[in-house]
Amino acid sequence: MAANAGNKIRNAKLVLLGDVGAGKSSLVLRFVKGQFVEFQESTIGAAFFSQTLAVNDETVKFEIWDTAGQERYHSLAPMYYRGAAAAIVVYDITNPASFTRAKKWVQELQAQGNSSTVVALAGNKADLLETRQVQIEEAKTYAQENGLFFMETSAKTAINVNDIFYEIAKRLIQGQPAQNPQAGMVLSQRPNERLVSSSSCCS
Amino acid sequence: MDLSSNPSPSHPPTDDSSPPPEKRLASLSLRTSDLPPDFAPAGEIEEYGDDDDEEGYLTAVSRVGSISSSAAAWKDDVEDPDVAPPSPSSSGYAGERGTSLASSAGANDDPEPQPDDWPRDKKHLDEDDASASWRKRKKHFFILSNSGKPIYSRYGDEHKLAGFSATLQAIISFVENSGDHIKFVRAGKHQIVFLVKGPIYLVCISCTEESYEGLRGQLELMYGQMLLILTKSVNRCFEKNPKFDMAPLLGGTDTVFLSLIHAFSWNPATFLHAYTCLPLAQSTRQAASAVLQDIADSGVLFALLMCEHKVISLVGAQKATLHPDDIFLLANFILSSESFRTSESFSPICLPRYNSMAFLYAYVHFFDENTYLTLLTARSDAFYDLKDSRSRIQDVLLKANVLVEVQRSLRESALRIEDLPADPSSQSVSPPPQFSQDVHSQLLSSEMAIGGPAGLWHFVYKSIYLDQYVSSEFPLIISKPKQQKRLYKAYQKLYASMHDKATGPHKTQFRRDEDYVLFCWITQDFELYAAFNPLADKSQAIKVCNRVCQWIRDLENEIFVYGESTLSWHLGIEKP
Repeated sequence: MAANAGNKIRNAKLVLLGDVGAGKSSLVLRFVKGQFVEFQESTIGAAFFSQTLAVNDETVKFEIWDTAGQERYHSLAPMYYRGAAAAIVVYDITNPASFTRAKKWVQELQAQGNSSTVVALAGNKADLLETRQVQIEEAKTYAQENGLFFMETSAKTAINVNDIFYEIAKRLIQGQPAQNPQAGMVLSQRPNERLVSSSSCCS
Repeated sequence: MDLSSNPSPSHPPTDDSSPPPEKRLASLSLRTSDLPPDFAPAGEIEEYGDDDDEEGYLTAVSRVGSISSSAAAWKDDVEDPDVAPPSPSSSGYAGERGTSLASSAGANDDPEPQPDDWPRDKKHLDEDDASASWRKRKKHFFILSNSGKPIYSRYGDEHKLAGFSATLQAIISFVENSGDHIKFVRAGKHQIVFLVKGPIYLVCISCTEESYEGLRGQLELMYGQMLLILTKSVNRCFEKNPKFDMAPLLGGTDTVFLSLIHAFSWNPATFLHAYTCLPLAQSTRQAASAVLQDIADSGVLFALLMCEHKVISLVGAQKATLHPDDIFLLANFILSSESFRTSESFSPICLPRYNSMAFLYAYVHFFDENTYLTLLTARSDAFYDLKDSRSRIQDVLLKANVLVEVQRSLRESALRIEDLPADPSSQSVSPPPQFSQDVHSQLLSSEMAIGGPAGLWHFVYKSIYLDQYVSSEFPLIISKPKQQKRLYKAYQKLYASMHDKATGPHKTQFRRDEDYVLFCWITQDFELYAAFNPLADKSQAIKVCNRVCQWIRDLENEIFVYGESTLSWHLGIEKP
């Protein structure tokens, strides 16, 4: 595995958790394959992806578990988040119930998970501003209180998608998961700029 | 091996053995009043209303004289029931009330297009039992709990069907209260079939003229599909709380059930209880089987390599056997869930015939658009091991060119009736079932109108020992999905009558109607279902069936899987 001379490869298990339809699979597919489909079908069980990210002179190889949000799979979640270096808890900014569900996932992670796990909160579907139901301030406050880092993302427009993975990779390398240097990121209104800046991290 | 020289009983008799009379099971007749004849004055709609949930069935062989005038009215593809000609009444199940004619207008209200292009989103969530369109659908499926809570409905929003579910539950418990069990109800053209599985009730309401046994078998598969997703341990939820709402547990599986219901009309596996294999050269299949066997020896319970619904190779750990219904339900689950195609997946599933109480873990990976590997294990932490196994299997498959051969077989290796060898006594090994495209395209369509030899149109052959079947490619005359669906319905009826427990089992049946000549022949080794053009000569047809059987024997190494572990006991019997 460590054959790449001069470049450390760090394997990191990452799990996505969240309510049905929050956009977990869409986020992953945007990150891993650069794809987006409007009507993403329900995930069955859990889907596995891997993707590497270069951060400075290090490489993080994400082993991503995209879990199913369906109720019948909840009891399996520990199988996927156990031993995870990072978790992204996803909710849909147009659906308050999914935010409630996200808080429950955070609780569960805090209760059972490893305290060194980097936990990110992603308010997805950030392109749907006109039907927003979960205010950005509310989520930001919640994230600060719980030591999560927070971003609003849009798998559809790609806003902040690479960024959230990049940020996780950075924190994993720094090994400073508990710190919260820039709690809350303001959603960029210029997605193209974001895309350009983030494209370099996706090798 | 020469069938034609064999004495009976393996030789089909030359005289008619009439089909057994429709068996009447204990039936609770609500109202059997015939539908009023005043609707559909043109007449042709009535004809098709009887027919099935086909949108229109046209062949060179007319069923009725008026077919040409009605042809324009029937389109090939899906029609929205909402734009269909309005029925004079909206009172739903016509027979029950004896006042409306919903079913006769329904010839185009149950749109089901091609096998590979079926409507994944045709649930019509806006409908409920008050909607005229909902009532006019030709085939409903319901799953409900014994407290009457809806769990699944093919059409409409389950939540809005609570009242209807309660009614179904009331009918079941009414009969149970008298110490009896309800099997079905006939109401005019509708048949309501019930299946009680502990706290789960399954109901089919259909006016498709399918047999009770056939519909009941479909409900059994619905139940099996549900178990595959949840296991039988879901019953415990009802023990704790009889009012348990189970519907959310099946969230996101509508496409699985829709695809299953669709399979009832095109996949012979649903009534033959057998699986089919992708034709492959023996050496190619052996290469795949050998590597799967290696994997199975290292702790995997079952390893299946499949292409769409066809098995390329399957192996099981010692003594573990896979039931054909489990293969079918597993393939349906995987193929109908887009999620499996996007990446490697690891999902708990239950094989209801293997162990209905326990979850297994399925590692699923698609090598290409239609070829996929499923590794089943009892270990929930086996993902990375299975992922490694997959990578080893993939290497071997690539080196042995298996995936390329699979694609080639998919394009070229169908059994075509026009390729049926002429000489039945030939002992020479036939060439593999691969025929170049241009030879095929040279066949004249005029020849196709009368079919292959002796007017043979199509056949399905099931090997009883192997639990496998093969079917021929559909000829041009049965090229439309609705025609194919209709033939399968005819086979299903034939199957049900041949296996009728009260009057059967039967050995042969020769049936002629305005659509086909159907011939069924069952021995202890195989079941053959063949369709000929309606003018086919009986003795010629029987000769051709002998040739088909010989042909299958000649090809058996390519068209069947001889499992190392699943059915090894059979090898000693079949192989000389």
